[in-house]
Formats: sequence, structure tokens, C-alpha cells
Amino acid sequence: MRLLVIEDYRPLQQSLTKGLREAGFAVDTTGDGQEGLWYAMSNDYDVIILDLMLPGLDGLSILKQLRARGRQIHVLVLTAKDTLEDRVTGLDLGADDYLVKPFEFKELLARVRALLRRSYREKNPVLNVQDLQIDLTTQRVWRGREEIQLTPREYALLEYLAMRSGQTVSRTDIWEHVYEFNSSAFSNVVDVYIGYLRRKIECSGKPPLIRTVRGRGYILGAQS
Amino acid sequence: MHSLRARLLVGIVGGMILLLTIFSLIIYTLTRRALINQLDASLLSTARMLAASVEQDNNEIELGFEVQAMPEFQKAEHPTYYQLWRQDGTVVVMSPSLSADDLLYFEGSSAEPVFQEFKIKNGRPGRAVGFKFNPRIAENDGKSSQPQTKIQALTLVVARDVSDLQHNLQMLRWLLLIASACTITLSFFVATFVVRQGLNPLNSLASEISAIKENNLTVRIATASLPAEILPIKIRLNELLSRLECSFNRERRFTADVAHELRTPLAGLRSTIEVTLARTREADEYQAALSDCLTITENMQTMVNNLLTLARIDANQITFRCDQIRLAKLVNSSWHTFSHKALERGITFNNRIPAEMTCSSDSDSLSIVLSNLLANAAEYTNQDGQIWIEAHQANNRTEIAVANTGCRLINDQVSHVFDRFWRGDSSRTDTGIHCGLGLALVERLVRALGGSITVELQDGGIFIIRLVLPA
Repeated sequence: MRLLVIEDYRPLQQSLTKGLREAGFAVDTTGDGQEGLWYAMSNDYDVIILDLMLPGLDGLSILKQLRARGRQIHVLVLTAKDTLEDRVTGLDLGADDYLVKPFEFKELLARVRALLRRSYREKNPVLNVQDLQIDLTTQRVWRGREEIQLTPREYALLEYLAMRSGQTVSRTDIWEHVYEFNSSAFSNVVDVYIGYLRRKIECSGKPPLIRTVRGRGYILGAQS
Repeated sequence: MHSLRARLLVGIVGGMILLLTIFSLIIYTLTRRALINQLDASLLSTARMLAASVEQDNNEIELGFEVQAMPEFQKAEHPTYYQLWRQDGTVVVMSPSLSADDLLYFEGSSAEPVFQEFKIKNGRPGRAVGFKFNPRIAENDGKSSQPQTKIQALTLVVARDVSDLQHNLQMLRWLLLIASACTITLSFFVATFVVRQGLNPLNSLASEISAIKENNLTVRIATASLPAEILPIKIRLNELLSRLECSFNRERRFTADVAHELRTPLAGLRSTIEVTLARTREADEYQAALSDCLTITENMQTMVNNLLTLARIDANQITFRCDQIRLAKLVNSSWHTFSHKALERGITFNNRIPAEMTCSSDSDSLSIVLSNLLANAAEYTNQDGQIWIEAHQANNRTEIAVANTGCRLINDQVSHVFDRFWRGDSSRTDTGIHCGLGLALVERLVRALGGSITVELQDGGIFIIRLVLPA
């Protein structure tokens, strides 16, 4: 899942990016409002974490412009303003959630995950695709009774495929949702990681779960 | 007497008592005098009539018979008394009404009639008139040639019982007393009612004021129909409320600003620590995280110190010493902190203060002032820009000017630079590092040092802060 963090206070920006990456997200970061809006408009992020007080363009204006241009991205607003009025303004302008600084990092993660589930219309924090089970909270994966150890990148890929299980997912989609803006990935990186993933979840003679749709992409599970 | 109502009541009723007493006394005195004058006139005319009827025939003194027979001199309910003396004190004649008791003899009664109060028999009050006169000489028929006998001067006293008059006067006294008492009692009730009615607006004002709570200062006293005397109170109170509301709002905004400015670095601190602790890391990662935390803490400490200093100056808790300060040296040591960063951005710094110039002020405070001014300049000067500082002394005053290029503020914004938590960029830059307290502190310190501070924006983005310090 790919996130955008727009936060100008460097220590917070850096720790958020680091923590979110370590939690398996692809994270793009900026500290400038204008740049943030440009990022948000030019990429299909799953969730944007938005500070309200920003140089260049403030958070509420970014939110307004995003919504005015019809972007349905989920936005989690981070702010030091905690009055009811501030919250109402933020939510009314189209924010999906609101977190007042200082916050617990775990709570931020939980809220981001909740927003992601909403993005993919999934209420259950445990995804089941046939006998494959993915716990979105603990990021652990089982095939049948056997737990499968995945690297963060592999997990991110599987999670994205599972969120859209039964649909054909293009390489571009995968690229946009699993990889960061400035990652120096080579062109067939998606195929390579699909290969790694298949090897891990389809081992010990279990039936294949990821199917290749020629020229279009991949499907996890049975086509819906 | 603290109650306005009691004071008004006492004033009104006391005034009534005083006025009624004075008027009653005047009425009583005038009436009494009129009655006595009337009595005196009547007494005198009776006396003159009596005197006129007295005849001296040789040595015989005679009172006209017809006069003696007048009923008023008989023994009746309220008779008139008379008695006539010779000069040697022997009684010539006395009225039948007197029975045998003498009337009062007026010693030395002169030709002028003299009036006198006295007690007649059985102690009843009486009033008498007495005078000396010479009786008429009886004309003896055909004996006019007879030599004149010596005329004997006589003293006549005529008196009358005045118990009726006294009684009437007593009635008048009672009448006046009762009328006054009734008027005063009634006026007390009327005054109580009127005063209560009159003070009602005060009560309604008081109840309106008591309804105003410290958490709802937007309320204004609304009572529309206040009397002219209380209207100014309402207006002043509403003005006071406005000022209070302003200051409460300012305080609230200030607290909110402080909370906001502390929340962001706290969030950074917390998230840095939490993310770092989330898993086991290499030593250099811990080191980097700890050094980040230290920077955040230092910035927070600076801010808290600035806030504390501001609060102390506001509360007059800071005492200033008087040090001889070598300005140029203090400027150089203040600049030292920022010189490295400024050099990286190609900023040139020019200290134009003469090396020997001294000024007497509190060196700690002046150091804070200069550091903040230079920090501000270093922060907002453009890449490869310039900062310079000058000082002049004249008339026992030192003027210091700190100038820098590359100011992006416009004229309307310049006046806000000393506002607490104000920043040029409305969407706020450098959260957690510059919270907009530095210049506010500078302004407050300079004022506390007895100086003044002004800002000036010159063409080409040259931003100048001038401070004038005593000596």
C-alpha cells in the first residue's frame, strides 16, 4: 500500500516515514504544501497523511483542491489544533480521519489500516483467499495451518493482491501501490517479486493461488 | 450607612421632619403673637375706657358708675378684672369680679402701658395691662373759680383670664404636632415605595451582572429602559466587559498557541522514540534517533525559556542590573552561534559598531535581545544576502539598528512582527524550530529596559529593526 506523508516538521516527517516503511508501506514524503498537492494529484495513493499547517499551501487548501478535482483518496489529517471547530472544519472539507498531535504511532498505524480497509471495502482485518489467510494487523500470513514468512516487500505485494482478490491487477497498479515514487526499481521488478511470492505461498504441492492474465496482469484467487 | 435606600430614606424623612418643625414653629409663633396682640388691644381699650371714666373730685377719686356696672367686670365665667391704686399704694377701687384678692401691682408703671403675664387667683393664667394716668377733674357746677386741687396720679391695672387663649394655643400645638407626625409617617411610606421603585433599575442591573460568568463574556447588559443616571454605568460596564472579553480571548489564543507549538515537537519526539523502539536496531540508528530527540528537546527548551522570560517580564519579576557593555564585543559573541549556518548560505555579516562604544544596560537581557535579532536576521536573509548592525549614541541614548536583505514581508505584515506566535507565512514555516516568540520577547525586553523598538521596511526587501536604549 502506498502512502503520502505531507508534514513539514522534519523530525516528525522522518520518523513517520521510517515507521510507516517499516510497517510495510511504500511511503512518499514532502514538507511543502504545493509539492504535496502535486504528488497527490499525480499518483494513486491509498492514504494521504496530511498536516494542516504547511509552508506553501496549508493542509485544508490541499484537501479542498483534492476534493474539488474529484480525488477520492482517503486523507488522515494530523494536526496540533484540537478544538471541536477545527476538527469539524477538517472533516467537513473531506478529511476521512483526524489525529491530534502528539499521537501514539500505533494508533496512527491502526487508523491508516482502517482507512485502507475502507478503500478496498473490506471490514474484516483478516483476509481469506481460499486457504490463504492474511492478518492485516499483525501482518502474518498462513496457508492452511502453515505460517509463511514473507519479506516486507513481499507482504506488501500480497496484501495489495489480496485486497483486490478476484480482480485482475495490472503491473502499473502494483507499481503505483507497492513502490515509492523515487524507488530505483528495475522494470520487471513486479514480475520478479510475483515469482518470489509464488514460490513461498504455493510450496509443498499446494494448488496455485496467483494466476497470470496474459498482457494484463495478475489475479489472486478465483476470478469473481 | 452603606445602603443607598437607607441613605435616601433618612435624607427624605429627616428633611421632612426638619421642614415641618420649622414651619410648625413659624405658624405657631405667628398665630400666638396675633392672638396676644388682639387680646392686648382689647385689654388696652378696656383700660383706656376705664381710665377715661375716672374722675377726681377734690380729693375723691370716682369711677364712672356706668362703667362699674358693665357685666364683664362682674363675677362671671371669664370676667375682666381691674384695680386702681393711688401713688401711695392705697387701693382706690377694684372690680367686683376680684372679690377681695388684689391684682398684681405694677411697680413703676409709666405712662406707657405695660403688659404682663401672671397668675390670677386659683392659679389660672392671666394677662394684664397697667399704666399710670392722671384722672379727669370733675367740673363742679358753677364753682369753676375754686382753686385747683392737686391732681393725684393713679395706676390702673386691667387683667383678663387667658385660659381660653392658652387652651386654643395648646390645641394648635397638638394640631401641628399630629399633622406633622402623620405627614412624616406617610412620607416615610411614600418615600420607601418611591425609593424602591427608583432603585429597581439598579436591582435588575445587578441581577443581569450576576448572570455574567467568566466563561461567557460575550454577554452584554441589555436592559433597554435604564434611567439616565444608570445608563453610563451600563455603558461603562459593557465597555469593561468588551475589554475583559478581548483579554480573555487573547489569553485563550495564547494558551492555544502555546499548546500548539509544544504539541508538534512533542509529536516529533514521541513518534521518533516509538518508531525507534519498535524493533531492535544498530547502534548508529539509535545514535541518530537520540540526536534528533536532543535537537527537538533543545528547541522546546528554548521556547519554554522564552515563554517563561516573557511571563516573568509581564509579571515584573525580572530585575535588571546596570552593566557597562562593550556593544561590538557583545554583538560578535551573539553572532557566533549563527555564523556557521549563515556562512553556509553565503550570508555576509557586517558589525559596524565602533569597538570602543559602551552602553550601560543589563548585559544578560541585551544579549538575549541581540541574539534573537541576529537569529531572526540569519533565518530570513536571502541566499548570499547581507546582515549589518550599526549603533549611534546621542543625548544619552544608544540607537542600535539591525538590518538584513531578502525580507519577503509586505508593509501590512511588518507591524505584526512583535506579536506572540506570529509568523510571516500564515501557513507557518519551520514548525517547532521558530515559533514566533523571539521578536515578541525582544520587544518586551527592550520596553522593560526602558527603551523603544521600531521596524522599518525599505525598498529592495531591506528589513531594519531599530532599538533605542537609555544611555
